Amino acid sequence: MKINQSLKVEPIIEERVFSVSEFLDFLNEILVPQRVIVQGEIGEKMNNYPRYSFFNLLDKDGSILKCFVWREVIETLGIDIEPGMEIRVIGYPEIRKNRGELNFQVERIELLGEGVLKRQFEILKKKLEALGYFSPEIKKPIPKFCENIGLITSRVGRGALKDFLTHLGNFGFRIFFYETKVEGSFALNEILEAINWFNQNTPKLDVLVLTRGGGDWESLRPFNSEEIVKSISASKIPIITGIGHEDDTTLADLAADLRASTPTDAAKILNKNWELAKINIPKFEINFNTSLRKTFEIIKEKIIFYENNSSIKVQKEISLKQQELANLWKNLGFRFQNYFKEFEFLEKEFKKNYLKIQKLAKDQKIKIKEFLEDLIKNKNQWQGKINKILKQQEEKLFLCSPYLKLKQGYTITKDKFGKIIKDPARLKISQEILTKFYKGQIVSKIEKIEK
Amino acid sequence: MSEEKFNFTKTYKEIEEINEWFQGEEMDLDEALQKYERGMELIAKCKERLKEAENKFEEIKKKYLVTE
Repeated sequence: MKINQSLKVEPIIEERVFSVSEFLDFLNEILVPQRVIVQGEIGEKMNNYPRYSFFNLLDKDGSILKCFVWREVIETLGIDIEPGMEIRVIGYPEIRKNRGELNFQVERIELLGEGVLKRQFEILKKKLEALGYFSPEIKKPIPKFCENIGLITSRVGRGALKDFLTHLGNFGFRIFFYETKVEGSFALNEILEAINWFNQNTPKLDVLVLTRGGGDWESLRPFNSEEIVKSISASKIPIITGIGHEDDTTLADLAADLRASTPTDAAKILNKNWELAKINIPKFEINFNTSLRKTFEIIKEKIIFYENNSSIKVQKEISLKQQELANLWKNLGFRFQNYFKEFEFLEKEFKKNYLKIQKLAKDQKIKIKEFLEDLIKNKNQWQGKINKILKQQEEKLFLCSPYLKLKQGYTITKDKFGKIIKDPARLKISQEILTKFYKGQIVSKIEKIEK
Repeated sequence: MSEEKFNFTKTYKEIEEINEWFQGEEMDLDEALQKYERGMELIAKCKERLKEAENKFEEIKKKYLVTE
């Protein structure tokens, strides 16, 4: 048992008197912070309770260490502990005040011997598999190009660190190295702390690489624990394991998001896509240039094709239009010719008619002249005839005059408005009436009306 | 252009997509020119990133109780 160097037990300078309780507290203050590993054989007498157990750890010389362990600590082992088993307990000593005896508080138990370890491995594997810890669905994808890498391994040991770093290509990786032990009883806690630390402090890392060289069952024990499986599964940052192993994969490998066989292999996996990119990027560049040139060529061909095609079309169109135009001209010429002919005809006709009209007018003129000449010649004869006719008409008119009737003794009677009275019915007694004679007139009053 | 943090994975993926696009049949000249320009820009960035590719190594100094 080794005691932390930083804790020094000061010699009691002054004479100090402790009470029992104070003294046990004093001792526990020194004992409890210690983390120690003790190896021994489990004694015959075990007291098992539902939540915890008591057992003795024995040495060949008969020394006894009383141990207390919580049930869940045993459960993480996968198999139960039994009397006669050689084990290691990791934990701290404490004096139980009410019993006055020293008890070893077991925090973790490690099984010993390859046979037991193999059995433990199989049992844990089955158990964790059933719980889904190894299922492909829960594996986190590893970024194609990892740049920021959290590295968890030992500085010493079998050169895992050196192997990993020397095989990692120069692709601008940033490696954050968290040193841990990779074997022994304290390795597991340190690895769990490292995984937790990266997740807490640098959650933006692309990947965590958990690696170590090969080893036997005993040295690989931390990688075959239930705790490491749970921690890898809980990590938000994807984890690559590169654990050199003699035969089987470890439980950590099964839980990892990606498993590399060795530290060198882990480095090569990280290099792979970068190496490809280095080859592919110039290829892409060539491809782009070729493709663009091809596009240009295709388009150029298309343009030429369209040009040719369209010029043929245009020519066709032009000749068609020319034909149409020629037809129009022809048509127009023909029509004009017709018009001209018609015009000529009309002109001739007109000329012909003009002469006729001229002749007609001339004839009429002569006729009128003859008539007038005749009229002048027979003037006296005409006058006599007209005078005679006029006299006859005058006489006829005279005979019809009302004065002639008055002269003969007739009278005309009018009312006061000058209206000639033809019917006395409309007249009234005492009304004045005017009677006109051939010579003069009288006004008389009506005395009697006979109808 | 926005000075977003250069992401190689994303950039490379875009280059691959452009490359795939160029393998296609129908191509519009405008689009081809745009893709070409973008592709070349991304390639230049990736080349630059690959050129300055010295690895950096940093140790996490963690205070934990060394007990052995």
